[in-house]
Amino acid sequence: MIGSTPRWVLAATVLFLAAVALFMLVPLLVVMASSLSSSAFLVFPPPGLSLRWYGEILGSEAYLNAGWTSLKLALATVVFALALGTPAAIALSRFRFRGRAMIASVFLSPLILPSLIFAIGLLIVFSRYAAGPSFAGLVIGHTVITMPYVIRTVSANLADIDPHLDEAARIMGARWWQRYLLVILPQCRTGMAAGAFFAFNISFDDAVIALFMRAPNVETLPMRIYSTLEFSPDPSVAAVSTIMIAMTLVLVVLLNRVFGLSRIA
Amino acid sequence: MPSGAVRLKREPAILLSPGLLFLLLAFFFPAVQLLAQSFLTFGAGPSHFTLEHYAKVIVDDFYAGVALRTFRLALIITALCLLMGFPLAVVINRAGPVLRTALIVLLILPLMTSVVIRTFGWLVILGPGGVLSWTLQQLGLIDRSISLMHTEAGIVIAMVQVLLPFLVLTTLGSLGQIPAALEEASRVMGAGFFRSIYHVTLPLSVPGLASGSLLVFALSISSFITPSLVGGVRLQVMAGSIYQQMTGSFDWGFGAALSVILLVITLMLIIPYMVVTSRAGGRA
Repeated sequence: MIGSTPRWVLAATVLFLAAVALFMLVPLLVVMASSLSSSAFLVFPPPGLSLRWYGEILGSEAYLNAGWTSLKLALATVVFALALGTPAAIALSRFRFRGRAMIASVFLSPLILPSLIFAIGLLIVFSRYAAGPSFAGLVIGHTVITMPYVIRTVSANLADIDPHLDEAARIMGARWWQRYLLVILPQCRTGMAAGAFFAFNISFDDAVIALFMRAPNVETLPMRIYSTLEFSPDPSVAAVSTIMIAMTLVLVVLLNRVFGLSRIA
Repeated sequence: MPSGAVRLKREPAILLSPGLLFLLLAFFFPAVQLLAQSFLTFGAGPSHFTLEHYAKVIVDDFYAGVALRTFRLALIITALCLLMGFPLAVVINRAGPVLRTALIVLLILPLMTSVVIRTFGWLVILGPGGVLSWTLQQLGLIDRSISLMHTEAGIVIAMVQVLLPFLVLTTLGSLGQIPAALEEASRVMGAGFFRSIYHVTLPLSVPGLASGSLLVFALSISSFITPSLVGGVRLQVMAGSIYQQMTGSFDWGFGAALSVILLVITLMLIIPYMVVTSRAGGRA
C-alpha cells in the first residue's frame, strides 16, 4: 500500500512514549516508593524497606480525622451534585425551550472560572454573611465545581438513549412520578454513576477551595498534606498519598467499566 | 390534553430551577462579592469605594515583578506542553484500541490524582538529595548533589506534568475529527511521513491546539499549589500572592483586586477558547 512509516520513526515514537510515560508517572511512583522507606527522612534511595509509616498513619488521630472529614465531604458533595445536576441534565437534553443553549453554558460556567477565584468569592461571602468558613461551606463549594461533571456525564448518557421511551410512557398514561421513577431515572443510571465518581474524586482531592475555606476544626486530607509539605514532610505523608493514589486508580478503573474512558477523552 | 401540555411546558422549569437557584447563590453571588470587595476599603470603620487596591498593584514594583514572572512561566509551560502534547496526541489518535486506552490512562490517572500529591512527588524528585540528583550522580553527569527546588526550572517541570493532560485531551478532540482518508491521500500522492503531518495533520488540528494552549495558559496563571511548594516564598507567582493576602496578611481588598485582574486576563483567554471550540464543534 502506501509507503509505510519509516522504521526509525517507529523507534523514535517508542522512545518518546517511554519518556512521556516516565515523566507522567514518576511523581506518583516516587511517592509510592517513599512510603515504604524505613528512614524518617525523605532521602533517595531509601536505606531500607518498612511498612512502619502505614502503621504510623493508622495510629495518628490527625490523619484519621482528616480522612474521615474528607470522606464525609466527598459523599455529601456526591449527593448534592447528583440531586441538583441530574434534573438539570434531563431538562437540557430532553426538552427544547427558549434560552436552552444559554442556560446550558450557565450550568457549565464553574468549569471555566479558575477555582482559585471562586474560592476567594466563597470565602468573602461566608465571612460576611455567615459565621465564617465551615464544613457546610466546603460542601457548597465542592457541589458548585462538581455539578458540571454530573451534567456532562448524564447528558452524554441520555444522548445515547431513545427519547421515545419516555414519550411512549407519557402517551400510555404514566403519571409524572411514574415516568421519572420507572423510565427516566433508570435511563440516567450510568451517567449518574460516572458523575458520582468524578464528583467524589474532585472533592476528595481538592486543595484549592479547602485551603481558602479553612475553618477551625475542619481539616481534609489534602489540606493536611499541603501543610505538612510546607513544613516538614516525612514518609507518613507518602503513605497517606499512596492510599489516595490507590483510591484514584480504583475510581479510574470503575469509570472505565461504567462509562468508558474514551468518552471522557 | 390541555392540562398535560401545560405541565409539559412547566417541566423543564421545575427541573432546572433548583440548580439555577443554587448556582445563583453559591457561584454568581460570590463572584459579584469578589468584584465588590476589590473596590472597597478594608479594615475598621464603614467601607467605601476606592481604587487604592488597583493602584497598589500597578505602582508596587514587587507585584509588577510577580505578574511578569507569572506570565513568563505560563508562556514557557504552554510552549512545552504544546511541544510534548501534539506528538503525543497524534500517536494516541493513530494507536490501536489497547495502546490508546493505556495512553489515556497514563494521562487521566495523574490528572485525577490530587495536585498536592503530584507536587509532593516533584519535591522528592527535584529536592536536594532527591531522585533527579541521585540519578544524575549515578550516571556520572554531576559530581555534587543538585536541587531544582526554589528555581523557575523546577516550577516549569512540575507544572508541565500537571497540565499536559489538558492539552492532549483537547487536541485529541480535534484530531478525531480529521478523516483518516485525508492523511492517507497525502501519503498516496507521495508526501513523506513528516510532510504529511506538517501539511495535513498539523493545520487541521490548529483549533484543538489553540484551545488546549489557551486552557493550559489560563490554568497555569491561576495555579498556586505547585508554584508555592516548588518555588517557595522567594519565587512568588500571582496566585500565590493572592493566597497570602487572603489567608496570611489579611489584606482582602488587595487580594480581591489581584484576583479580579487575574480573572479579567483569564476571561480574555477563555472567551477565544470557547469561540474556537464551539466553531470546531469540539468538546470544551
